[in-house]
Amino acid sequence: MYLLAWMLVSGIQAGILVFYIRLEALHAVTDSIVFNTLFFLIALVVWYPVRYIPLSNKNIFFVVLNLLALGILVIVVWMSAGFFIMKTIFSDDEAFMQSLLLSVPYRIISGILLFIVMLMVYYLIVYSRNLKERIQNEAGLKALVKEAELNLLKSQINPHFLFNSLNSVSSLTLHDPAGASEMIIKLSDFLRYSLKYTEKDKNPLKDEMENIRRYLDIEKVRFGEKLQFFIDCDKPSETWFVPNMILQPLFENAVKHGVYESTEPVTIDMKCRIEKGMLGIRITNNFDQDSPGRRGAGIGLKNIRERLRLIYGREDLMHFRKEDGSFTINLFFPIS
Amino acid sequence: MNHKILIIEDEEPARMLLKQYLAGITGLEIAGEYADGFSGLKGIQDHKPDLVFLDVQMPKLNGFEMLELLDEPPEIIFTTAYDQYAIKAFELNAVDYLLKPFPEERLREAVNKAFERLRVKKKTAYTGLREHIDKTGEILSRVVVKTRNEIKVIPADQILYIEAQDDYVMIYTPSGKYLKQKTMKYYEDHLGKDEFVRVHRSYIVRTDQISRLEPYEKNVWLVVLKGGQKIPVSRSGYGLLREVLDI
Repeated sequence: MYLLAWMLVSGIQAGILVFYIRLEALHAVTDSIVFNTLFFLIALVVWYPVRYIPLSNKNIFFVVLNLLALGILVIVVWMSAGFFIMKTIFSDDEAFMQSLLLSVPYRIISGILLFIVMLMVYYLIVYSRNLKERIQNEAGLKALVKEAELNLLKSQINPHFLFNSLNSVSSLTLHDPAGASEMIIKLSDFLRYSLKYTEKDKNPLKDEMENIRRYLDIEKVRFGEKLQFFIDCDKPSETWFVPNMILQPLFENAVKHGVYESTEPVTIDMKCRIEKGMLGIRITNNFDQDSPGRRGAGIGLKNIRERLRLIYGREDLMHFRKEDGSFTINLFFPIS
Repeated sequence: MNHKILIIEDEEPARMLLKQYLAGITGLEIAGEYADGFSGLKGIQDHKPDLVFLDVQMPKLNGFEMLELLDEPPEIIFTTAYDQYAIKAFELNAVDYLLKPFPEERLREAVNKAFERLRVKKKTAYTGLREHIDKTGEILSRVVVKTRNEIKVIPADQILYIEAQDDYVMIYTPSGKYLKQKTMKYYEDHLGKDEFVRVHRSYIVRTDQISRLEPYEKNVWLVVLKGGQKIPVSRSGYGLLREVLDI
């Protein structure tokens, strides 16, 4: 492509020289080939500096200076090398050499023009390359965000919870169709709520608690009397905004480490109050002390701490303690 | 004669479903149902059932831990929502592995398979149970042992060290020592790599229990535990120790 373009330019120039300036064909063609081939080679080399002089508004003076120096260098090299070659070839043709010398100003102007065209073409190439790269990067970034969102959802909806709940539904369809229907509706509402929001959103505590009640109701179908819960939130705290689904993992933990691992009833107790301009939430559950802690515990808590840090920029919004068979977590939500 | 069946499953609706499905199959009788591994184990010892429906995820003892403690396990059909234990279950020669929720037809198939096994009286070889190498690479968080009169669940972080004793291993904890029919290789593979080191052909030691290394003879070292026990270190064990303890 590049080569072809230059051959075309050479041809046109030779044509101009022959028909308008009335040069001999041999002289004209040689002249065109020599000068254009030279510029072609120089232009190839110049590609590298051009690539590393990015066009930016920040240091426009620096860029202009660089390009100016580059231009002068290119034209000087081009002209001297051209004249040197022509002189070697046509050393005995005085008249032609004379006319060649006369054409210097014209050649400098054409050199400048050629240089400018070359720069434009080069910067166009650089720009389109950057654009492509940027589009690729953006697509990559989008994929990353999507993946993160997906992971968030995956961590929110435990597949085993889902399959065990569906198994309960399967059981209910046989001996309690009304109960099965109710369970499917609760499960659907729970899933819909969980899928609706992204990580950034905040919801009134009331909405969040409604969803948590759905979750606990579903687990209660599975575990019956083994799971007890008491939720005590007053009106002002119910209207307070909290990051969506941030409490859900805590209840899941309480069920997982409490109810799943115990043969005795487990009670989850939640209390929320507004104090010192913050919403304070305390969740307590008992657990079987004989059952050793499972691996992987603590990741959920770490995620919550991280989310609180990202959203509120504070590290001190979560505290928990484990003692005498009971686990207590305290959370604080500043006003948003 | 009807086959005796037990259901060991911690969720009431799941038990109801099993019973409902099983009611449609002749030639069996449900002898009992249990909601956790401990009572299930006792149920098996009391009833000596032919076939057990066993959940994996249960309080106290999970299904696999419970099986480990049985000398002559009955035929087992696992029922669980977890698909990652299927390979382990079949390695243990389980009759079938039902993923919840499952259709009635699938359960019938499993029961027929079990009846077929019981009919030919092919005594299921559960030899694999104690020797089998778990390919899931699962790291144990606890070890279940049986003493003369109780079952003990030992959290992995309470194990001080493990000593080889012929076909058994002796597990030492602050509250006593327990014999278990497993191989050293099994524990080498299934205890946390950073927490435990096999310092010798016959010893695995918990790294945070090590108080110091002591020269014994030329090229022979002893590990001294915080409790004062001295444990020999082999040449390759010394290499591993240096790596883990970063010395």
